[in-house]
Formats: sequence, structure tokens, C-alpha cells
Amino acid sequence: MDNETEKKDPFEEKIDQLKTEDLKKALQVFREKIHSEYAAYFNSCVHCGLCADSCHYYLTDRNIQSMPAYKLNLAAGIFKRYFSFTGKKIPGWIGAKKFNHSIVREWVDSLFGRCTLCGRCSLNCSVGLNITYLIRTARSALASIGLVPPGLQSTVNTALEKGNNMGIPREDWIETVEWLEEELQSEVGDKNARLPLDLKGARLFYTVNPREPMFFPLSISAVGKIFYAAGESWTFSSDNYDVTNYGLYSGDDEAAGVMSDRLVKSMKNLGCKTLVLAECGHGFNSNRWEAPEWLSKKYNFEVKSILEIVADYILQGRIKLDPSLNPDPVTLHDPCNLVRLGGIVEEQRFILKHALTQFIEMTPNREKNFCCGGGGGQLAMTRFSKRRLEAGRVKADQIRDTGAKVVAAPCHNCIDQLMELNKHYKLGVKIKTVCEIVADALVIKKREKS
Amino acid sequence: MLFIEVKGKKIETNEEGFLINHEDWAKEVAVLLAKEEEGVEALTEDHWAVINYIRNYYLEKNLAPMVRKICKTTGFQLKYIYELFPSGPAKGACKVAGLPKPDGCV
Repeated sequence: MDNETEKKDPFEEKIDQLKTEDLKKALQVFREKIHSEYAAYFNSCVHCGLCADSCHYYLTDRNIQSMPAYKLNLAAGIFKRYFSFTGKKIPGWIGAKKFNHSIVREWVDSLFGRCTLCGRCSLNCSVGLNITYLIRTARSALASIGLVPPGLQSTVNTALEKGNNMGIPREDWIETVEWLEEELQSEVGDKNARLPLDLKGARLFYTVNPREPMFFPLSISAVGKIFYAAGESWTFSSDNYDVTNYGLYSGDDEAAGVMSDRLVKSMKNLGCKTLVLAECGHGFNSNRWEAPEWLSKKYNFEVKSILEIVADYILQGRIKLDPSLNPDPVTLHDPCNLVRLGGIVEEQRFILKHALTQFIEMTPNREKNFCCGGGGGQLAMTRFSKRRLEAGRVKADQIRDTGAKVVAAPCHNCIDQLMELNKHYKLGVKIKTVCEIVADALVIKKREKS
Repeated sequence: MLFIEVKGKKIETNEEGFLINHEDWAKEVAVLLAKEEEGVEALTEDHWAVINYIRNYYLEKNLAPMVRKICKTTGFQLKYIYELFPSGPAKGACKVAGLPKPDGCV
């Protein structure tokens, strides 16, 4: 493909046309979101450089702009210039920078384009700075003046306007559930097997990532089969079922709140006891941890990952698995938002060890695992896709080193990036959700009655 | 800006190979995208059945069809759709059919 530059990119034009009041607005939003604890972070980086080798961007491009400390400093320089005494009086002394078009351009390029908000730099920071939060806050400032890169912004917009992030019409979602229900019935040989929709008073409300019904429904079938085997009381919802929340990535807390509140509405409407989040890393982090903050309210129901539910089934003997049905060597990818930032670490390991014969850990793993490169909205921001694939080399090498034939990935966003890495780096692996692997190992007893 | 060249005409794509303007699509474009993006050397009748359905659906509704509809209309099993387009319905079939990149985790 050729490169040409005669037509200006509309997003770049938007930056060119920023007015003084736009810049002021962004600064104001930035200031409002920096509480004292975070303001202290801006003054605390000791420039030790340990974060550099923790970042998959820096490890693959060795570019100073990819260093977490550099990215932090881009945001810190602005904070100091406008909101600290020394920065206002003698900015040059402390690296305080003026907020102008060229800094905005650099913020977009580095804070959106060279970061997946994976949190690995924060984990490796020698003084414990939450670099990830600060970068997201700078994204919030850019979001307030309409500078979220296209693709990421359009995914937020689609979710806000259409009720789910792929714009699936209501009847198409319902028809897909009915279709998958028929498939389940024929698979388990029981015409009473159900994928219930809007079943009021069910114990669990199960959410999905729109990517599943739209293009990759096998993960839904797998969960339906597990629920069937466990004899669970559960339901889908025909409205407000989307587990994703791209507001987490764009930095737009208001939009994020609207999306998470939809699941709260479904819980209320259905009267379920537990909100169960699909295998979706950022959806888990958003709805388990961040949403009560965005909405300023305490949830009066339980929020769990489907992995916690399935681990309980195994523990309680509610499902029976035959590991010999999954004979290929399997490795596990730890999605950042589910594991490092979400706290779901051992459940998936416990499940897999009961569902297959050869389990191989990646190195490093658990909370120290590397990002796949697809998080932080990178999959949606096409303009940075070459960089995303290059940064994914760290993950590709990790996978190759295990020699595994299957990668279990409890996150649909990671799965899409892993599929691209598989193709680009010729890994020759299959990529599955944890529940798909469990479903393949299920031993289903014939029902006396349903 | 990025381009592919088909029959001497330059056609703009995004960084992931999706067409910028779906009107630029032609059968020759599909053949090239299938080869370069999907590694499919020759499009079979079955490939075309999927491509034509997706494309016509999009022209009518301004939306990519759900995979259920693709299966139902073509009569193909889900597994076979993934075999025809190894990158899946979004980055494979929809891209070859000239649709813009869908929103969401793709």
C-alpha cells in the first residue's frame, strides 16, 4: 500500500482548530479529576526508569515516547504549569509545560496511542505511582473537548445511541438467542433445554459482549451448556445486556456511567440476585469496580465474573468434567482488566486444571502478565493499529515459548487481538474462552425431568 | 493515506485494510482484499455467497448482518464460515465485502 498526504485527516484538523476556550475546558476537567492523592503522584516520580521494561510498547519499539515515565511526565508537566506555585512562577525549573496544540497532539499520540491502560507500569513503579489512572485522567480531559480518536469514540457513541456497542437491533439479538437455544437443544438432546430471556426472579442475570451474538456465538453456546449442566436458574435480558464499557477507555466518566447503569436497570427489572459478567476484561473492571464510583452509588446486588460462578460449580460438584476431552496443551492469557486490575486470578486456573490434561503457564503470569496489546481501546483506534500489532510481539513471544496449541483467554477484546497476533506472528494456535474449554469437557447426565 | 490499486484505480483503505468508501468496492477489490488480507488465493462460489449476502444486506440496512443471518441465508454451518474467512466474519468477510470496520471489540 502507498502512503500519500494530500488530504488532511479530519481528526488532525480538529486539533488544529482548537480554540483557547477548548484548551481551558480540557484543563478544568483535568484539574477536577486530580484529587490530592493523585496530585502528589505528579510530583513523586523519581525517574528511576524501572517502568520502561514493564511496558510492552517500550519493549518493542525502544522509543522514549513509549516509556511510562515519559507519558506520566507529559501529563505532569501540564498539571505543574497550571496548578502548582513553582510551575506558575518558574515553569522551566520543574519541567512545567504550556498546554497548547502541540502538547495536545503529543497527548493524543502517547496517552491514547501508546498505552493500553494495562497497569503493568504502576505495578512495577518503585514508588507505587498509579500511572495508569493519571493517563486515563488526561484522556478524560481530551474526551471533554471531543478528542477521543475515531473508532474508540464511535464505539462509545454506538453504545450510547443503540444500547449496545455494535448497534445490534433488539429483534436480531432475540432471534440469535432463539437460534442458539435450538442448537443447544439438539446438542444436549433435550427439547426443554433453555436460553431464557427476561426470566424474572432468576438467580443470575448473565450479560454478553455484543461481539458474541454478532459474530462469535460459540462462547454463548458454551455458557448456556454449562448453565444447563449445572441446572442453574439464570436469564438473559432482551434490553440492556451489554457487558462492555468503552467509556473506561475513552475517559468519559459520564458515558461510562450511562452504560453501567443499564445493567443496574436490568438487575432491578429482572429481580435477579447476582449480576454475572461475561468473559470480558474491561467489562469486569468497569462493572465490578469502577461503576459504583461513576454512579456514586452502592450496589444492592452481587457482581461476579462467570469464572467465579463456574469455579463454584466445580467446587460444589454441580458440573462434571472429563479432562481427557481436552487433550491439547493449553496456556492461559491473563487479561489486565480481569487479573491485574480486577483481582480474578486463581479461578480460571482452578477451572482449567479440572477441564484439560496439559496446562502450561506463560512467563510471567497472573498479575505480572503482559498485556496482549489490544486493551485501552487500541482495537478500536485503527490509526494506531500498526503499533498495536508491533507491541503485541511481547505476548506473541510469550505464547510461542509455552509450546501450547490452545490459548485460553477470558476476554473477548483480548481474543480479537490474539487472533490478529496468531495470524501476524504465525503462532498456529487456537484461541478460546475458558467457558468454551469447559463446555468441551462437560459430561452431561440425562435429565429425568427438566 | 493508504491505498490499494485495482485496475489502475487507487482505492483508499484504513490502516487495517478496510475500505474508507464502500462505493469503491468491486469484485476485483474483493479478490485483492481476500488475497492480501485473508490469504485466500481464489474466491469460491461459497465465498461469493457470503460476500454478496453481506454486501447487499449492508447496502440495504447500513449495518453488517448478524452471523446467524449469514448462516441462515447461505445454509452454511458456523464452522464453515470461519473456514471460508479465517479472520472471522468481521475482519474477514465484512472487510472483503467492502464494509467499513464495525464498532466494538473487533
